[in-house]
Amino acid sequence: MALNQEELLRSPAVWQPRSIEEAIGMKEEWGSAAVYTAGSTLLRTQWEAGTAAMPRHLIDLGSIASLSGIREEEGAIAIGPMTTLTDCRSSGLLAEHAPLLVDAVRNIAGWSVRNLATLGGNVVYRVGDAVPALIALNAKLEWHDGSRLLFESAEEWASSSYAVPRLLTSIRIPCEEDDPTSNTKRFFAFHKVGRREAFTPSLVTVAIQGEAEEDGTLTKLRIAAGGGQTTPVRMTRAEELLLGAKPDGAGLQQAFEAVLEQYEPRTDPFATDLYRKRTAANLVVAALWSQSPSNASKG
Amino acid sequence: MLLNRRTSGDRWRIRPDGPGKVTGQMPYLTDMSAPGMLHGAVLRSPYPHARIVSISTEKALALTGVRAVLTYADVPGLNRFGIAHPDHPVFCEDRTRFIGDAVAAAAADSIALATEALKLIEVEYEVLPVVDDPEAALAEGAPQLHEQGNVQHRNDYRHGDLEAGFAACAHIVEEIYQTPRQMHTYMETEGGLFIPEENGRLTVYSPTQHGFMDRMQLARILDRPETDIRIVSSPIGGSFGGKDELNVQPYGALLALATGRPVKLHHSRWESVRAGLKRHPMKITMKTGTDAEGKLLAHRVRIVSDAGPYSTLSAEVLNFAVEHVLGPYRFGAAEVTSVCAFTNNGMSGEFRGFGGNQAVFAMEGQLDRLAEKLGMDPWRLREINLRKPEDPGPLGQPISRTDGVRQVWEALGDSRLWRERESLKAISAEASAPPGLPVPPWIKIGYGAAFVMHGAGLGVGIPDPAGGRLRLAKDGKIEAVFGYEEFGQGLIASLEQMLIEQYGFAADDLRIVIGDSDVVPDSGSSTASRATSMMWQSLRRLRAPFKGKLRAEAARILGRPAESLKPLNGGVRDIESGELLLTYEELANQAEEEIAAETSFFYPTSPVERVGSHFMYSYSSVAVKVEVNTLTGRVRLLDQYHAVAAGPVVNPQGYLGQIEGGSGMALGFTITEDAVMDKGIYLTRNLDTYLIPTIAELKGTFEVEPIEKLPEGDEYGPRGIGELGSVGLAPAIAQAIFDAAGKRVAKLPVDPQLLQERISFD
Repeated sequence: MALNQEELLRSPAVWQPRSIEEAIGMKEEWGSAAVYTAGSTLLRTQWEAGTAAMPRHLIDLGSIASLSGIREEEGAIAIGPMTTLTDCRSSGLLAEHAPLLVDAVRNIAGWSVRNLATLGGNVVYRVGDAVPALIALNAKLEWHDGSRLLFESAEEWASSSYAVPRLLTSIRIPCEEDDPTSNTKRFFAFHKVGRREAFTPSLVTVAIQGEAEEDGTLTKLRIAAGGGQTTPVRMTRAEELLLGAKPDGAGLQQAFEAVLEQYEPRTDPFATDLYRKRTAANLVVAALWSQSPSNASKG
Repeated sequence: MLLNRRTSGDRWRIRPDGPGKVTGQMPYLTDMSAPGMLHGAVLRSPYPHARIVSISTEKALALTGVRAVLTYADVPGLNRFGIAHPDHPVFCEDRTRFIGDAVAAAAADSIALATEALKLIEVEYEVLPVVDDPEAALAEGAPQLHEQGNVQHRNDYRHGDLEAGFAACAHIVEEIYQTPRQMHTYMETEGGLFIPEENGRLTVYSPTQHGFMDRMQLARILDRPETDIRIVSSPIGGSFGGKDELNVQPYGALLALATGRPVKLHHSRWESVRAGLKRHPMKITMKTGTDAEGKLLAHRVRIVSDAGPYSTLSAEVLNFAVEHVLGPYRFGAAEVTSVCAFTNNGMSGEFRGFGGNQAVFAMEGQLDRLAEKLGMDPWRLREINLRKPEDPGPLGQPISRTDGVRQVWEALGDSRLWRERESLKAISAEASAPPGLPVPPWIKIGYGAAFVMHGAGLGVGIPDPAGGRLRLAKDGKIEAVFGYEEFGQGLIASLEQMLIEQYGFAADDLRIVIGDSDVVPDSGSSTASRATSMMWQSLRRLRAPFKGKLRAEAARILGRPAESLKPLNGGVRDIESGELLLTYEELANQAEEEIAAETSFFYPTSPVERVGSHFMYSYSSVAVKVEVNTLTGRVRLLDQYHAVAAGPVVNPQGYLGQIEGGSGMALGFTITEDAVMDKGIYLTRNLDTYLIPTIAELKGTFEVEPIEKLPEGDEYGPRGIGELGSVGLAPAIAQAIFDAAGKRVAKLPVDPQLLQERISFD
């Protein structure tokens, strides 16, 4: 049996479209034989593990300049999906307006991976660690389906499924102007718990963004939890319990129960369902406890 | 005095192989290639346990660019390997016993073609029931993996009247300790380049810890004289015991000889995980009792070890564990029973610490639990029971006498870390709130300590040769020729430093020659914490003859009395003025015959018959401070202190590196590492799920205090420290966790769920 050696050893074709439209055109033409690539850090691990076959065509989105960069526009910070995690981490704009996202990005993979991996790639992965942070930040995603732009929230994206070929073109984080007369204080928390301290797959990821009055009354609160292969979702029950309240011991106990009930982790051989639930609930409650004026110095 | 760069002064040297390694310029053996080289690949069993019905290689051989496909039928000699018990098939004949078992191998023009060839090899299997637990393997009716059954090895030890001992006890603790299947995780995975030479010989460039052992095993497989094989075995990108046994060498050698072309094999990380050795998972059951004052009266131990499918050094590791579950303590009576069983799990084998890590984790855990029952400080309980300098070793055997036990016990008590613990205890006894900066209520801090007595050398009954050669080469370099390997431990640096400090030579005068079976003497293996110790003893033996010959020949050339001359840095000098009279190059050129000296001897052993018992020991005490986060149950190591009594520090940087590196591995063993298997299949198949510690885990202070003093008249010099640092950390952390969170850890790695608590605001 003589196989064609060339066929056997051929590498995939790498295409570098110059525009979003061209990229989408390529994807429409080749369908499942083509895959968009951003940093390729996740794809590479899948090819190596044999969980995904290397396709015939790779469409390298790095060639489309408009997909990179972080800008302020219309009351939002717009992040091009091809912006690397390293660039997100060192962005002054993000540090000022969305430190929660900077914290999240800092906890993804290791240095060398973050230099290649993109925020868009992490979002499209859906269970990426940036996603809970983007949900807590009420981020909006802009997609292009070849003919028009589509918009949805990060929260909607995380729990959706889509079939039509489309391309993520922007990630927008709303930023509110600081009101100098207001006495409210913004707070945020990001926790990723893995099986080691750094460069680790997540078991539980929790992101919180909120606002509290001087006396501790919570005026705004968004809590998202994900981690591992768990689809990130908002912990709406805990939010409802706590909004408008000054969380005391009893209130926090109730919030703990609410997270325990609503957070439905996907397990693997490395941590139990119970451990993940308790971790998520503990971290949410500890973050809220820490931001309360009387505990701030201890937390 | 603590050992660090500052306290080492001029003795802190840049290691000779350092710049090449950190700049990436130095090629490792697996970086090598040769013109016309083929790529080899090994077909491994897809099942943990299966009968091979048939193998057909025709389709694979028909693929263009495939140069050879081999099976058991192509092995000219013994189709087995194994350092001590050759029962590991090079290629399986009719049965596979683990997921890494080799069935066939191919050589082709590229890696892709070789991989494709493996897919075309047709093997029909009949799946057999999987034995995935050593206790299940020993149960009646279990499928038998070998003709002799599933017992790989047993080893028991008894002294005293155990029942009477327990009857007299005031306190008894019982616990079952379990340890993980730890992976060596060297940066360089297994591999090598195999070159059939024009003169008919075979050159093997492949990492190993004992070149001559590989040569013997390959000669047996290839059915060729050992002298037909040259093994180049250094430098190595990490081994830790994992490359001690053969891995790719049989396949590379067979493929190279079959094709007549150079063949390269190099494991991916996936294949390294699948086929490579791991630390033996052990289940150690202990029942230990004391009288009311804390004196150990009775100690019963049962060890069950998982060998995996084949032997390699499983028996020797078990023997080591038996010795070290007794450790540095004196018991009124003790009984150890142990068994190592064959299973269809991954291959277990030699790994830094060699069974001591598992044993000491259990032994020290017992002491800490007993101290709690006695209401006694755990360190004080150890003092009561430690061996005295004149006492025999753990198995009642005579051992080389040192005061190491007492020295490291005292040093830990005086350490900054242990004094910090004492002072905190004193304060918290008086005040209700803990002192210091406010910490969130879910952060708990604790301190723990452990004691290690670790044997070095292969032990009684196992051939343990040592030796080396010094010669003045034609170009005037003084060559130090030893049969050891450099796998990152700093052996080259240590040898150079000894020649500079003990002989007075300069670094420029020297050339270190190691790891090439064609030119080095058999100095024994680079294992068992023995190499530096044996180099030191060799140099001690060689000093008078070699320097004497240099001086005599220089005296003849210079026409001066030998007594007025001294070979030092740069050449032979006037003993009074230090004036350089004859360079080594001049001496080499004018010498009538080659100036050389050689020594060979054996690693000292105890005059007893019990196989594996040790004569030389190193001692260590370890103190740690840890933090437990009860929200997540995760443990962080904050600070650590290691006192080490192992004779003189040969090379400060190497010494510190060994203790730090060993401790890093021990931290992985304790909190993150486990090669998880399910029914004989690895679930952790790559480094994205098998997690070794990163720099983020290895924070905090790290203090090493070497105690160099040996008794007057000691002949043995530096004891081994290559493994010591990897042993004591786990039990020290376990005790610190108990101190912090009040929970006993008996299974490693620590399960965060055990330490997690529901948050409360009472």
